[in-house]
Amino acid sequence: MPAVPEAIAVHAGVLRSDALVLADCAERLREIEARLDADGAAPQWLRDTVNAHIAACLTASADLDEAATRLDVYAGRARR
Amino acid sequence: MSVHAGDGPASAAKPLRTAARELAEIGAAIQETSAHATAALTDGAVLGALVRAPAEGYRAQRALLRAVTNRRGLGYAVAGGRLGGLAARAGGMAGAESLAVLILATSLRLRIAAVTEDHPELVADPLMGRLIEAVGADRDIQSLRALRAMLKDRGAVRTLSGLAPVFGEVLALRALLDENPLNDTAAWLIATGGGYASADPITGVSNRAIAVLDTGEGAARRLELDTAEVARLSSHGSLLGFLRNIGVVGTTGRVLIQSVTGPDGVARHVVQVPGMRFGRPDNDSPQDLLGAFSSAVLDSGPYSRALVKAIDDSGIPRGAEIALIGHSAGGAAIMNLAQDPAFCARYTVTHAVAIGSPVDFKRPADPRTWVASVTNQHDIIPTLDGQGAGGCFDLHPGWYVVDYFDATHLFPVCHGIEHYTANIANDLPEARDRIDHALTPYRGPVTRSQAYLLFDRVPDPDGFPFLTVPTYRVATPDGALELPVRCHDGGALTAYFAVDARAAAALLEGTGLGPAVRVAGRALVAVHASWNRRTSLGAYREVGLGIVVHDAWRPPSIRVWPDVARSARRRRSGSWLVGSVVDTETVSAVAPEVWGYEPSLADLDIELTARSVRIAAGGPEGRFLALRGWLGPGIPAGAPDLVAYSRHEGTTLRSCVETRGRGRVHPAPRARLVAGPAAHPMARHLRALGLDGARPLLCLSTFAHQTLRGAGVPVRTT
Repeated sequence: MPAVPEAIAVHAGVLRSDALVLADCAERLREIEARLDADGAAPQWLRDTVNAHIAACLTASADLDEAATRLDVYAGRARR
Repeated sequence: MSVHAGDGPASAAKPLRTAARELAEIGAAIQETSAHATAALTDGAVLGALVRAPAEGYRAQRALLRAVTNRRGLGYAVAGGRLGGLAARAGGMAGAESLAVLILATSLRLRIAAVTEDHPELVADPLMGRLIEAVGADRDIQSLRALRAMLKDRGAVRTLSGLAPVFGEVLALRALLDENPLNDTAAWLIATGGGYASADPITGVSNRAIAVLDTGEGAARRLELDTAEVARLSSHGSLLGFLRNIGVVGTTGRVLIQSVTGPDGVARHVVQVPGMRFGRPDNDSPQDLLGAFSSAVLDSGPYSRALVKAIDDSGIPRGAEIALIGHSAGGAAIMNLAQDPAFCARYTVTHAVAIGSPVDFKRPADPRTWVASVTNQHDIIPTLDGQGAGGCFDLHPGWYVVDYFDATHLFPVCHGIEHYTANIANDLPEARDRIDHALTPYRGPVTRSQAYLLFDRVPDPDGFPFLTVPTYRVATPDGALELPVRCHDGGALTAYFAVDARAAAALLEGTGLGPAVRVAGRALVAVHASWNRRTSLGAYREVGLGIVVHDAWRPPSIRVWPDVARSARRRRSGSWLVGSVVDTETVSAVAPEVWGYEPSLADLDIELTARSVRIAAGGPEGRFLALRGWLGPGIPAGAPDLVAYSRHEGTTLRSCVETRGRGRVHPAPRARLVAGPAAHPMARHLRALGLDGARPLLCLSTFAHQTLRGAGVPVRTT
């Protein structure tokens, strides 16, 4: 079943790329907050909310990276 | 007055809107990552390899499961695919939210914050502030309490009007965060600007499922406007002229098509389309509530299909240039025409102007069509597609968009075509000039105006099928009369009374008819009042007094009761007409010849509702009959036929009124009959029968019926 390890590896590749997307999302959130702060337009509640989103994005990024690594190992083992 | 035109809001709200849009993009990106992780978790291939590498496979599955359920990361983020969809719904019902949803909620809160920059009254209002805050914080009980407090304090209309600028955002926020999984897609579409809200954001009921109830191929009939309306139509093409024309035509099921000669001498055509007609949610016009809904939600509905029929009928040459102007649901309907490739292949749609319409997700088939949308931020109707004052997406960069507000916050006043016209005339000079400039090819003398009445489907012929009967003409001293008399629209009340049998017998003496039908030893008498609003004899009212008599050709029998309920053609009993009053000379003149009785002429007033009646005969100075009061509860029943006996020049005539319609039986009426002091024969008869001050035993009412009334037929009673 050579196709199965490849399919698992494809998932791993997508998730690794998604981990980067999430890290990028965290960065974009940081920029948005900074920009609104600089414009004086940020509502009072925004800082805590965005910080929570940023932390979640980073955690999610780590989770996906971890899942991608596990899938890679799984695919490698399944190939043997 | 604030005007957001073309390139979007330019106030302090702009950075907030920009941030909201970016957050929506981030939310969508995160949702995609969630779908990828869910796909890996549920992929059969990944699961299938577990037998070959159980330990590694288990660790990978555990890592994936953690990724899509970690409350500190993606949250409860199972998404995409059939399994993912089911699991996501289960999670929604349990109140478990994903990071993507939370970020979209933040985006919506920023949109609300942006709106409050332009509408400080939203935050200054403590009740509104409480509601918005509670919804945003996902506090259901508090948000319901705040909403209830607002409704109690200012009523539904003022609450909705106040909420209008943030209506879509508040609904979407609540839908995203509540436990109802059915409304999540609609909320997602509103929050991301991805499309028309596919469902009611509160209940989750599919908008499309409701819209498809509006069926019909559409039909249009030419119609002449009345003289006063024609006088008010603009004789020169201009935006304000077209909008005023829409006001003239009104929400009456009609549209107007005008031809103008442009400054270059070319004939062009302007289709002017009003909005929804108030009344029953679904009637025979596409301008009803369902029509408004389907026009907004679907690409084609009976409204736009009926418009096509009108335009095709109007003689506009193929390829001719057309401008479409629509208000409210009419705006959605004209945009459906503009986005119909077949229609645009027949005609050149150069302009589409939608006023107060939910058209954010309509797209013209011809990219050269110039589109303008004018919306008042306190008008709820344009927000029904989910995008309102808080919109942060540039959904149609090529359009000219005016999203403004004024001091009038009350819906539906701010939605009216007259209000929009006044705003554009007085408060939005730049927008008016810009749209008028774009409409320059149509700014010339009007050469033709043609109105159309629109229908969901080809309407029945007038009176079909009940009134589609052979007719014949009879000569009367007052000219020719067409029989049977056909009433297309009328209402009636028959009140039955029990009177002294001897008094009734005295009135029947010498008629060859009788005896009177009895109820508990008393004679049955009927007062029948009808308001025939549209008949082949013109509109008229009539009040008659009759004694209900047995079949004159058989011995009196208890079987009279089933007979009284039979159709007129099969009925043997009837009412001996003691007296009658009509309010038109025409009917008064022909009645003796045609029906064998001589009604007197008097003012008649007949008002009938589901629960009450008010009948007055004779003017205020000479009132001789009044029946007024509560009818009590009504039981649905068929509208009854009438059979009347009368005597003319020594001959007894039997005449029938056949009726079609829905009626009600009122078994416990509280109305009272009063015989006036006037020396009118009717008053005399009422007093003779002891009816002055009497209450009816039973009443039968119909609000909208059709009747056929043939000539009286001579019958021998001896």
